[in-house]
Amino acid sequence: MKIVVIGAGVSGAHAALTLLERGFNVEMWDVGRHEDSFPEPGVTFHELKNRLDDPVDYFLGRDLDALVPPGRGELLRYPPSRHFLASDKDPLWNFLSDGFAPLGSYHRGGLANGWGANALSFDEDDLAGWPVSFSEMDSAYRTVYARIPVAGPVHDDLSSQLAGSYPSQPPIRLSSADERLTRAYERKKSRLHGLGIRLGLARLAVVTDPQHKDACDYCDRCLWGCPKDSIYNPGRSTLQACESFEGFRYVPGRRVLSLVPGEGKITGIRFVDTGSGQTHVETCDVAFLAAGALETGAIFLRSLRAARPDISPETEGLMDTTVLKLPYVALSGIGRPPDSRSFQYNRLIMGILGEPGPWPRYLHAEVLHLPSLLYHPLIESMPFGSRLSKKLFFVLKSALGVVSLFFPDKITPGNRQVLVNAGEQQEAVRLCYQEANEKSAYITQSVARVRAALWRLGCMPKGIIQSAPGSGIHYAGTVPMGKGIKRCDATGRSNLFANVYIADGAAFPSLPSKSISMSLAAHATRIARSARL
Amino acid sequence: MMMQGRLFPTWQIDEDEYRTVCAYLGISPKAHLYEKVSAYLASAPFRFKRPRGFALFLAGVRLTRFRLARMDQATRLFFPEHPVRHVLNCVIGLHECDGEGYRELASAPAGWRAALAIAGWLTGYGFALMVTLAWLGWNFLAYVAGTPFRREQNLAGKRILITGVNRGLGRDLMLHALEQGAEVIGTVRSQEALDNLAAELPREAPARLLVADISQPGALPRVLTENRTQAEAIDLAILCAGVKHGGTSVLAMPALRETFEVNYFSTVDFANWFCAGNSRKSLVLVSSIGRWHGMHLTGGYNASKAALSIWGESLEMELRAVGKQHIDIMIVEPGIFESGMMKRSGVAKLLLTSRRDVAKQILSGAMAGKKSLRPPFWFAVLTWAVCLGGRNLRYRLFARIK
Repeated sequence: MKIVVIGAGVSGAHAALTLLERGFNVEMWDVGRHEDSFPEPGVTFHELKNRLDDPVDYFLGRDLDALVPPGRGELLRYPPSRHFLASDKDPLWNFLSDGFAPLGSYHRGGLANGWGANALSFDEDDLAGWPVSFSEMDSAYRTVYARIPVAGPVHDDLSSQLAGSYPSQPPIRLSSADERLTRAYERKKSRLHGLGIRLGLARLAVVTDPQHKDACDYCDRCLWGCPKDSIYNPGRSTLQACESFEGFRYVPGRRVLSLVPGEGKITGIRFVDTGSGQTHVETCDVAFLAAGALETGAIFLRSLRAARPDISPETEGLMDTTVLKLPYVALSGIGRPPDSRSFQYNRLIMGILGEPGPWPRYLHAEVLHLPSLLYHPLIESMPFGSRLSKKLFFVLKSALGVVSLFFPDKITPGNRQVLVNAGEQQEAVRLCYQEANEKSAYITQSVARVRAALWRLGCMPKGIIQSAPGSGIHYAGTVPMGKGIKRCDATGRSNLFANVYIADGAAFPSLPSKSISMSLAAHATRIARSARL
Repeated sequence: MMMQGRLFPTWQIDEDEYRTVCAYLGISPKAHLYEKVSAYLASAPFRFKRPRGFALFLAGVRLTRFRLARMDQATRLFFPEHPVRHVLNCVIGLHECDGEGYRELASAPAGWRAALAIAGWLTGYGFALMVTLAWLGWNFLAYVAGTPFRREQNLAGKRILITGVNRGLGRDLMLHALEQGAEVIGTVRSQEALDNLAAELPREAPARLLVADISQPGALPRVLTENRTQAEAIDLAILCAGVKHGGTSVLAMPALRETFEVNYFSTVDFANWFCAGNSRKSLVLVSSIGRWHGMHLTGGYNASKAALSIWGESLEMELRAVGKQHIDIMIVEPGIFESGMMKRSGVAKLLLTSRRDVAKQILSGAMAGKKSLRPPFWFAVLTWAVCLGGRNLRYRLFARIK
């Protein structure tokens, strides 16, 4: 039996590994680009500036594309040395945007190459409306927590809210700014709990136990690519585990376009050979779609049109988290010297607890004290001239932080993918998205609570930055679980094609606030485990 | 990228200004970073919003320490996307990537000194702001007073053909047109000249460079046609390429033939192609003030320019006679200015208009439909005065020139 897993991101890797563990032979088809190794392991972000031959080239790119121009409101651009992200400039990109400008990845490991490492599980409340219970997911969570090293506390104020979390590594070290904030939290705890705000240590998919050779050495370069592989990347560790099975075959250079429909099932897969640009069809018995919610949705729509031209080729859903950033100045941090080494991503998380209602009770936020970044956009965004802004910025630097809130999403009429025929861009998929109105009240109320909490913690919130729709990178719900031929059943099996499984976030019928990567891995594991093959 | 001086003075800063910016920000200037700043700012006209009006006026100010402090405050308040903001942002952005640069930028008072320093800085900033507002007011008055004499043309979206763009006036015409948002089709004589120029221009610049050896009959229309450029697609054509054989007898037939071929017949060739069709467009013929008098040992340069000016006037009459009034003809007769064809001496330097200014005048004049332009005007008047003195005076004056 020929089983093909399409995609080599977190979903594809865990689906493939589970199938291999069940004893099946698995082919994994992937575009399969990969990043080069990252320079100078052990050297910190700022030390790198002394070590590289041309640091400007490394940090800003040859044409200074990462230099953020004034007046744009952008505070950060992705490092040019990291090229795993794909967008409309990529020749393989086949999405048209209608209010939704997403990012994708054609790299081994997929978007998980840029995962901020926050590892959380969906609990009973998050899974409300799913045809899957927490206990069904929980056994899959246990499996993936055994595969993925997660650093986190044994117990803290958030533990009761974060069921299904099984850290295996000691927590990441806090920076001195984090420690000042946690001390303030301890003092004000009861009042903050009254506001429904809890602070805890981040649960991160990072090796922290110094006994391991790939343990984090706090070089402050997470965003720039971890040179020690301390941050979990499915394209490396999980695919390596797959490769230890004889029945595994990784096939790079293939970009799947659609499935070839037969009687109630598929008979083959149509793909582009990315080397030659030629389109081919190859037979297969079972396919696991794990190309990421957007690509999986696109593949499904093209297959749907071939199978059922009478049905309009548009999905029933398209979801992404709305990310909102609240910058603040921690007054106790003014004039403090910066730490020489730290973990660049967030070391603290905040839970904003609400009442039962239309949204999950737990709203997830990440508390980040300004790590090593390129500072010119922050300096230019201050309301003074460059000279004073620069001086003020470096006095305030250790006091600056940002709370990022991740707002959940649900399937909303109108938010969908639509297959279009636009001239040369045949088979392109338009992404239609509009922020739901009911969300804005929820956002306003949550922001007010976080602001109040920040004041209590001795921090002065300043401004608000809302990312554009599509930039949350938590895409989901394009072939969701449920009834109807555009959906899949609770085991991920397509209601249209009996031998196709939706192994990635496309199958999620709602999108909780918590980071999704662990749930993607768990979902893929559960689907691969229960598939009747 | 090879940089030869500043391509786009509205955006780029020279090395002295770069040192001023570094001193202002408290960082050490670095030659290799200046190269990068300069290359980045050279691509700025094609990446960012062009300043207009008063903001453009301010962009012309040469940056001294005092003016930079004023511009920094003023642009932050009133012109958030002004070129000077890009300059400061770029210098900070590049220096923060450099080990030493970052240490210099990041040095900051700690502990209780921080609070004191912040209070001091904010007070100082307030005082400096008052000076800035006064300075800005003064400059605004200067700007308003100069308005009647300023002709600012928006060239955005215009397609301009310019010949001889690798050096001299042609090069400045191309650079100014690009800076003002035009799309330029530029011709040069050889592939080598094209390669050198292409290496110098920023990649984003909307300039299409073509090789056309206009000493060959029919070369220009042929090259344009081969490159799928139609006469209708060109809004403005500036025929700027020319040759001048210094120290060559006016009897030297090969030089004389070449001079007339390049300076005169190629124009006739081109006009035949360009004046067909019905689209609204302008043709600019770059002649010379020397067309008013004879000159020995130039291989017939003055004669060719005389022919060009007179023929250009004739063409205009003929176009009118046949009802083709949608084509404007402008004849430019530059006198003395700083150009690749002339050496600069001490006194002349004072009286010269810069080549860049001549280029600006030609472009704005052509867009405004002017019929003739003779920069600098004082030189034209002087030439005419000499011409009115008759052949003998001209002979006595010009025959001495070596």
